[in-house]
Amino acid sequence: MGAKITPRYWLLITILCTFPRYLYAADDWGDDAWGEEEKQGTAIHGFIETAVGDRVSDDTLVDDELSLAEVRARLEAETYQGALRLSGKVDLYADGVERGFDIYLREAVAEFSLTDNVDVRAGHQVLTWGTGDLLFLNDLFAKDWVSFFSGRDDEYLKAPSSSIKVSAYGETANIDFVWTPVFNSDNFISGERFSYFSPQAGTQMAAPRGKIVPDEPSETFSHGEFSARIYGRSHLLGRSSTEWALYGYRGFWKQPNGINSNNQAYFSPLTSLGASLRTNVASGIGHTELAWYNSVDDDGSNPLIPNSQIRFLMGYEQELVPKLTLGVQYYFEHILDYDALSAHDGGSIYRPDEHRELWTMRLSYRALQDNLTFNWFSFYSPTDQDYYHRPSVKYRFNDQVNLTLGGNVFGGKQKQTFFGQFEDASNLYARLRWSY
Amino acid sequence: MSKFIGIKSLLIVMAVSALNTVYATELTDANAIVSKANLVAYYAGNDGRSEARMLITDAQGREQKRQFTILRRDREEGGEQDFLVVFSRPSDVRNTVFLVAKKPGGDDDRWLYLPGLDLVKRISAGDKRTSFVGSHYFYEDVSGRSITEDSHQLLETSDKYYVIENKPLDPNSAEFSRYIAWINKASFLPEKIEYQDENDRVYRRVEVLASEVIQGHETVTKSQVSDLRSGGITTLAFRFQHYDLGMDQAVFSERSLRKPPREWLQRDE
Repeated sequence: MGAKITPRYWLLITILCTFPRYLYAADDWGDDAWGEEEKQGTAIHGFIETAVGDRVSDDTLVDDELSLAEVRARLEAETYQGALRLSGKVDLYADGVERGFDIYLREAVAEFSLTDNVDVRAGHQVLTWGTGDLLFLNDLFAKDWVSFFSGRDDEYLKAPSSSIKVSAYGETANIDFVWTPVFNSDNFISGERFSYFSPQAGTQMAAPRGKIVPDEPSETFSHGEFSARIYGRSHLLGRSSTEWALYGYRGFWKQPNGINSNNQAYFSPLTSLGASLRTNVASGIGHTELAWYNSVDDDGSNPLIPNSQIRFLMGYEQELVPKLTLGVQYYFEHILDYDALSAHDGGSIYRPDEHRELWTMRLSYRALQDNLTFNWFSFYSPTDQDYYHRPSVKYRFNDQVNLTLGGNVFGGKQKQTFFGQFEDASNLYARLRWSY
Repeated sequence: MSKFIGIKSLLIVMAVSALNTVYATELTDANAIVSKANLVAYYAGNDGRSEARMLITDAQGREQKRQFTILRRDREEGGEQDFLVVFSRPSDVRNTVFLVAKKPGGDDDRWLYLPGLDLVKRISAGDKRTSFVGSHYFYEDVSGRSITEDSHQLLETSDKYYVIENKPLDPNSAEFSRYIAWINKASFLPEKIEYQDENDRVYRRVEVLASEVIQGHETVTKSQVSDLRSGGITTLAFRFQHYDLGMDQAVFSERSLRKPPREWLQRDE
């Protein structure tokens, strides 16, 4: 018990002592030199953040009651050497849940143009594409679900990978090609901070015994990840420009959802193809995206490897009244060769449904000159009968200090479903950040 | 003698033609005045760049700042144009980029790039009369309100100003019932705009505090918005303005969201 109180107490002290002095520290522009000092040299920025999150209910499998307890210092540096841009972002943090200090490299990139129409971005970087709002079909770049579930800033959902991105720009279409030489999985729920449901064991599992330690693909050229996107804008609907894109990926499932002959989790090979459209519809934005996940389990008969899938998304977002925006998305995953799967999995009661549907809703509202923002994002699956709500409110005291309060609330009818398994991970959190 | 008469008549001719010129430029058509003012305020040159700084002060005197660079290119004079806004301060919005394809009479295309997530977010054309990055300026103040959305009436012609009353054609499209603009007769710069509510009370004022002629264009260098209801004020200062740089249409693309065009953003000293 004492060990549990310590980090919480320590965080509280930090919050109380460190921050109030910065709350209203703002000067006018005065003689400030329009940032001329940054013109030649290196721009240094960052933040210091303290965050604490507490479970709403007990997870008997996980020791820690806190789902988040950390003090984090971010250092960002950006400089230009001629036309070469160099940027680095690194976090140093003390983690009260995992008990220790750690360094997290967020970004270390070099950016330059090969020709007038070709850009290269090489190094440790965050990569994103696709049209979904917190739903990813063709974006198979790494995600950090542990950060997302525990209430860290949204930015941390996208995990960085060490990649080379080459972008070529043309009159009617552009191409992005990304090579990630060493496979970079999601930071998945492994049982360490949050427990998960294991269909093999038929029960909820957590570390140390239930920690998922997957077999990683060997570091060879053919085990790298290759992602490509061809995209452009055209006037398909009236005067609005419609964004279109085609996607391709060759690599591995980002979560260890295969079981090898040693009964160990591993990342089975995956290739995918997809397409998306996004445009103004009525007075809002409409988007749709399709992906075909082609698994190595060709005929779908091996229950230890995920089957191929079709994934589909459509969504619409509109401002309802000034400052209040509503976004709704409909998504489904359809498992292919389902008959073969059900014929070979020994009649497993945890077999996923052939068709999984998901609705999401985002409501956001801005008040007090945009200094106060409310956000409510919900996932709800009518087929799995489970849900995940993400309410949050952020207040910006000034340009330096902001406070975020929020929650991650999971639930469902069954213990094995996508969100249902995380019911005991439900938490409320607070983050106070000072930016410099 | 004849020489004297000659000069005298020449002087008379000059005076009369000068008077004619004055009368010719003293416009009476409100639509003509407004469309000329629109060109002066938002369409100077074929393209332009400017650095901008906002000081946002709320009723309690608390201050916030924004610093950004705006690039603009006109597709057609008085018509469609593109804007790219790249933020440099404060640090939590640093490297955020905003791209707008402005389409008078239609819905604008708008995108926002969030560098932390490497996310290009498309944002709905929505309400352009909401706060621009937390300031008292509206999106529409920055990119210009389409002149076809209001009816215009010349209320008064003073020594210095055309005073124009503007009423929204669709009263539900804006929060004001009308606004009065004081347009400088010589420069056609709208120097003061006052927004009135349905009770004819002025609740919002936009003023030019300073301007100068840059490359032949009368250019605002400092302006201010006062929210008379809340008591909040935002001042906006512009510097390092240049016109007709020869920017290409490709500057206003997704490429520039992810990799802001340093060629145009960098100061040319």
